[in-house]
Amino acid sequence: MSGATVAGGIDAMQALPAVPLQDTVLLPERIGELTGLDGFGLGGELLATFLAAFIVGNLMLAMTGVAGPWAKRKITAAFTDRIAVNRLGPAGLFIIIADSVRLLSKELVIPENADRPAYDLAPIVVASSALLGFAVIPMGSGIHLADPEVGLAYVFAVSGIASLGLVMAGYASANKYSMLGGLRAVAQNIAYEIPLVITGMSVVIFAGTLQMGEIVSAQAEPLVTIAGVSIPSWYALVNPFAFVLFLVANFAEVGRNPFDTPEAPTEIVAGYQTEYSSVYFVLIYLGEFLHIFLGGAIIATIFLGGPAGPGPAALGIVWFIIKIWGVFFATQWLRSAVPRVRIDQLIEIGWKGLLVLSFANLILTAVIVGVVT
Amino acid sequence: MSTGLERGQQPPVDVTEDELAALIGDRALARDDHLNAPGFVIRPDDVQDVLTDLRDEAGFDHLANLTAQEYADRYESIYHLRKYADPTQEVSVVVPTTTDEPVSQTAEPVFRTADWHEREAFDLVGIDYEGHPDPRRILLPETWQGHPLSRGYDQEKPQLVTLTEHANPVQPDHHDDESDTMFLNIGPHHPATHGVLHIETVLDGETVVDVDPDIGYLHRCEEQMCQQGTYRHQIMPYPDRWDYVSAGLLNEWAYARTAEDLADIEVPEYAQVIRTMGAELCRIAAHMLALATFALDVYGDFTAIFQYGMRDREVVQDILEDLTGQRLMFNYFRLGGVAWDLPEPREEFFEKTRDFLDGLPAKVDEYNDLLTGNEIFQIRCHDTGILEPEVAKQYGCTGPVARGSGIDYDLRRDDPYGYYDNLEWDVVTEDGCDNYSRVLVRMQEVEESAKIIEQCVDLLEDWPEDERTVQSNVPRTLKPDADTEIYRSVEAAKGELGIYMRSDGTDKPGRFKIRSPCFHNLSALPEMSEGEYVPDLIASLGSLDIVLGEVDR
Amino acid sequence: MIGILKSMATTMKHALDGSTFTVEYPETAPDVSPRFRGVHKFSQERCIWCRQCENVCPNDTIQIVTNDQRQGEQYNLHIGQCIYCRLCEEVCPVDAILLTENFEFTADTKHDFVYNKEQLKAVPWYKDIDPLASREPDRGAWVGEGEGEVDYQ
Repeated sequence: MSGATVAGGIDAMQALPAVPLQDTVLLPERIGELTGLDGFGLGGELLATFLAAFIVGNLMLAMTGVAGPWAKRKITAAFTDRIAVNRLGPAGLFIIIADSVRLLSKELVIPENADRPAYDLAPIVVASSALLGFAVIPMGSGIHLADPEVGLAYVFAVSGIASLGLVMAGYASANKYSMLGGLRAVAQNIAYEIPLVITGMSVVIFAGTLQMGEIVSAQAEPLVTIAGVSIPSWYALVNPFAFVLFLVANFAEVGRNPFDTPEAPTEIVAGYQTEYSSVYFVLIYLGEFLHIFLGGAIIATIFLGGPAGPGPAALGIVWFIIKIWGVFFATQWLRSAVPRVRIDQLIEIGWKGLLVLSFANLILTAVIVGVVT
Repeated sequence: MSTGLERGQQPPVDVTEDELAALIGDRALARDDHLNAPGFVIRPDDVQDVLTDLRDEAGFDHLANLTAQEYADRYESIYHLRKYADPTQEVSVVVPTTTDEPVSQTAEPVFRTADWHEREAFDLVGIDYEGHPDPRRILLPETWQGHPLSRGYDQEKPQLVTLTEHANPVQPDHHDDESDTMFLNIGPHHPATHGVLHIETVLDGETVVDVDPDIGYLHRCEEQMCQQGTYRHQIMPYPDRWDYVSAGLLNEWAYARTAEDLADIEVPEYAQVIRTMGAELCRIAAHMLALATFALDVYGDFTAIFQYGMRDREVVQDILEDLTGQRLMFNYFRLGGVAWDLPEPREEFFEKTRDFLDGLPAKVDEYNDLLTGNEIFQIRCHDTGILEPEVAKQYGCTGPVARGSGIDYDLRRDDPYGYYDNLEWDVVTEDGCDNYSRVLVRMQEVEESAKIIEQCVDLLEDWPEDERTVQSNVPRTLKPDADTEIYRSVEAAKGELGIYMRSDGTDKPGRFKIRSPCFHNLSALPEMSEGEYVPDLIASLGSLDIVLGEVDR
Repeated sequence: MIGILKSMATTMKHALDGSTFTVEYPETAPDVSPRFRGVHKFSQERCIWCRQCENVCPNDTIQIVTNDQRQGEQYNLHIGQCIYCRLCEEVCPVDAILLTENFEFTADTKHDFVYNKEQLKAVPWYKDIDPLASREPDRGAWVGEGEGEVDYQ
């Protein structure tokens, strides 16, 4: 895997900041160096890559572990004037252990008419598609698995696989509510994937590259400097309109309020996940949170400067996680206050609203960038 | 629907008894007057004829209730009619049939609400209604043998189909290869049915093509239980359990009002003020819950509004607990008054109540910010679940559901009882006929109730100490004259909650029939939701604010 | 859009003010009003075995067994079946059966909720509130009056 920089389309790219935010050395290579695995040829490289992926995957899974059983409860409770989990461990944190034991030890109930291979595969597809996306996300502090030239396209592509998982879950469960949920999920994902990608394209026009590392580097350049404090040219600041569009499309893409129609507990029970229990439920549940975090990671990378933030570059991962959690927090905030839109309204907003706006944004960006450069 | 309006003639508002007698004419076989209304006995094949005339010529557009019962020598269906314009105008149409062939003409073409009523009468009493479009059982399972409220019913007789062998009502799948529709069971266990309600739905994509509410899962024989209890003591605890969410005192008042009129019992003025205050507190609690759960249906399972609604309702429940000694099942009213005076120290109670009332406007503003002002909430609720006023009247809808359709009907004002007459307050109506209007009506009714409570608190505070009689002198045993019949109703949280009672000379009622507002409101659900989307069906169901305990009784 | 933002601001306000309306039960026991009706307490010393409570009970919760001299032998009350209407307390002429404010009772099966007279006697006061004292001003205000035979005898 190559970590070498690809020449940017914009000349300004040449003036990179003094402190490189991006490690040019990727995590697998570093692990290879540290453990001496790079001396073993292709096998060693593969092992080092696997180790690196293991670390990143576990980091993300640990975050969902905190988010699902604990943070979500705490945040919801804060919004609704309640106390929430506080009995086990400091601030109730050990509920995570208790909940995992509880969920994993439950009986796995599989519906009689379930379409077996599809039914079993769906949770794995949902969870793994999100995990795959993290492979190209530069998380700062040297945690970056791979930086292919088509990074952004890759991340949209793998997160789109989740729709397949949801449809499989909905169809294979042999439950009408699941079916409705699966159909809603696919309708919604198609409607919102396009605005999402189109809006992402406007960032590509700015950065002149699809490579994640390059997009992050491009954002480190100061936008304006006020009283000695330089504000970086994060694309959220350069093009806030695209940022809001992307944020909205992202909430719909991951199925959060006000676009949580595929689950819509009060309408179709739990949508595509109605028939899943025990381990399968955990996988689907994890997958959902992973998708929120992946959405947050994409937003952080292409709009919020990735791991950039005050302090030494080694703190990159901290800033990155803070940004991801910010997006997660926003989903929970919306959940407390915003009604769910109806499925037809959701599709309408997607095709008639967001799609048009995202194209307008794309053209505008192209014109502006063309004029400026 | 052919109403008098369409024929271009306005039915008169006031109809005297003589005019009624003249209208029915020869079709009246005899008179069978009830305590509150003139009663006419007609032949079983004249039902539609007479009811149509009463509706179109005399303006009785509200079939409030249908009571069926079996005597030793006959079956009887009693249609209780009144007017939306003036509910004090009432008339009872008594339709006797023979015991060996209990067949009576259906009233369904005249009043749509007779559909469910006649199904219930067939189910429990065993009268067949000729021409009924849908003669199925409604509360009991389809396979049930016998009619539990008929005289010859043997309670010991085992049912042919036991509960364990009973066909799963959720099983049949009406999907056929020809059409593209899908049959979907919403309920009996579903997050949004607010209890055990089963809605048989046919979907075309996400669009609802056909809706058939299947009720009876929470049928607890409330009517029969009340027939087993003595008027004086044993019935009063049960009304709390009809609409069990928090409207206890309102329900108790329905029984109290009926029994007091039946046995001619006076209620001291002081007790009436306490009753009025308690009832309105209950109304606030009930409406808070309605708003909170409606938000749940529209928003999703983690909305803050539900919690805020519960929090505010909690304060009301604390006040009610201080007053009555219980949080939901109050058992506070007694025939001839209430069980207790206000709790001592009275100042503390008044202060607590006033604190709540003072804090209410701020909370209502908050609800407006969260609910009614939210644009997504508006696009979800505007023009969904449309219930036109004429349709609402046909289905006997009352309460906030009717008032959200612009029907100006509130028994507290139109058929006054308690202390409402002497207080300053307004009936809230909205003309939108949609889910949004029903939410608005409930929000505003909370404010109106607060006004009433405030005036009651002022009155109670200044009430002279030696005139604080909470109970009138009531005989220990009440035995109203045999065969006295009465239908009386009050404005409960969900609408007109009425009770029909017939005394049989003992200390227990001979027939006790509950007219449940939720039962009627729910029957209008197909009209509101067919042709709309599943989420609208759920929202409409939420906006009806049904309590299955009261639907199934 | 403004409405949505207002909604979000409202919930955020609640999140930031830090106040909660739920309490940590059982560390913070809720206040129970003096009139609250909880589990029954029975006093055999006071009881005259007149069976009024048994007769007035709307759903046959109370079962009294006496010998042929009308002396009490058993007093059973199914606190799981009871609807807590307080009619038994109201009719009792000697305050032998009372509803305490105690609402904290558990059992493994519903049959464990059938309390005999010893168990009923052992029911503790809730926070030492004697309901008799707190309900005193109005107790029995309504049962004693009126004409006619007593219908619960």
